[in-house]
Amino acid sequence: MDDREFCLHLKIEVAELDFWIEQGWLSPASLKGQRRFRDIDLARATLIFDLTRRMGVNEAGIDIVMDLVDQLYGMRRTMRDLISIINQEDAAVQQRLLAALDKLYDS
Amino acid sequence: MSQDPYELLGVQRNATQREIQSAFRKAAKKLHPDLNPGDKEAEAKFKEISAAYELLSDEEKRHRFDRGEIDMTGAEQASRSFYRDYASASSPGDPYHNAGGFADFGDADDIFASFFSRRGSAGFGSAGRDRHFVMEIDFLDAITGTTTQVKLPDGPPLDIRIPPGTRDGQTLRLRGKGSSGYGSGPAGDALIDIKVRPHRFFIRDGDDIRLELPVTLAEAVLGGKVRVPTPSGPVNVALPPNSSSGKVLRLKGKGVPKRNGTAGDVYVTLKIVLPDQPDEQLTDFMRGWTPGSTQNPRRDMEV
Repeated sequence: MDDREFCLHLKIEVAELDFWIEQGWLSPASLKGQRRFRDIDLARATLIFDLTRRMGVNEAGIDIVMDLVDQLYGMRRTMRDLISIINQEDAAVQQRLLAALDKLYDS
Repeated sequence: MSQDPYELLGVQRNATQREIQSAFRKAAKKLHPDLNPGDKEAEAKFKEISAAYELLSDEEKRHRFDRGEIDMTGAEQASRSFYRDYASASSPGDPYHNAGGFADFGDADDIFASFFSRRGSAGFGSAGRDRHFVMEIDFLDAITGTTTQVKLPDGPPLDIRIPPGTRDGQTLRLRGKGSSGYGSGPAGDALIDIKVRPHRFFIRDGDDIRLELPVTLAEAVLGGKVRVPTPSGPVNVALPPNSSSGKVLRLKGKGVPKRNGTAGDVYVTLKIVLPDQPDEQLTDFMRGWTPGSTQNPRRDMEV
């Protein structure tokens, strides 16, 4: 969707959207020099909206929250990928990894 | 949904708006699905407290609920998607992927770990460095916003948008305009520190503008319309009769534009200016003006 549709959806002014993008909180795709917002941008902007408008987080807070959110999801995704790959391994390999983990946490 | 919004937020029926807000914020921190991606129940609970907050934070809806005219159904939220539904999916081109959580995993002799820390930068490569610049802009450009072109030491000229209300010392980030990345890594950002040049008579005070306005003795005594400069152009202001030097007039909404669409104010401090040359008529009048010698404006200073 374009700027107008996106702002209408979120009920924010374009100036505020510009600010979010300048801060690096959102990075929409661009198509022929125009900004294009994907579903992921809308969902992310809704989170930023919740934080700023309803939960009272200030500018500096958003910087920190979004950075940690990105790190958290990055790690979650990698962890999930790792687990799904382990799940495709032989039962013997899985058992061995599990045993190694057990040993790590027991000591 | 037919629950009681007061119960959902855990507040008394006579709670103030402040109490309701703080109860919501406290609950939202624990329950926002995007901030608690591992909590399956979070989404349903967050929607409930959101609906309860939506209802109670609107005094009119709250009264109607109290009188039994509406129930929670009226406050149900439009369907929305949560960020975690997108951010958790494994898609290689995700613009928000950040592998910073693995940044210290990448020992040279540990291929497996370094694989994760490198994944973030779209393939094998790392992001270019950010570059810092300093730019001076005019006072009024900072307030009204403008687009300006700068030539960086190397590379093509860049159009930089100065947003309205830019502050002295603010940093603008231009994504991808820093040093180019290594391998297939993205370019770094250009960070531009803004220095705002001072103005001849406007002084910025947060979102407000202050200025000293010279007025004649006649204008101060008799009042009347005076032209006052503001960052968005001059305006006519009605000066009340008998205005002393130091009196402050507020021009609402004529100050610095804010991000929410409103603007700060302009505060005008009057300064009475006598004629350039001593005026005989005025001097004679003052000699014959009795109250002039009885009033003591320094009474409060006990002299």
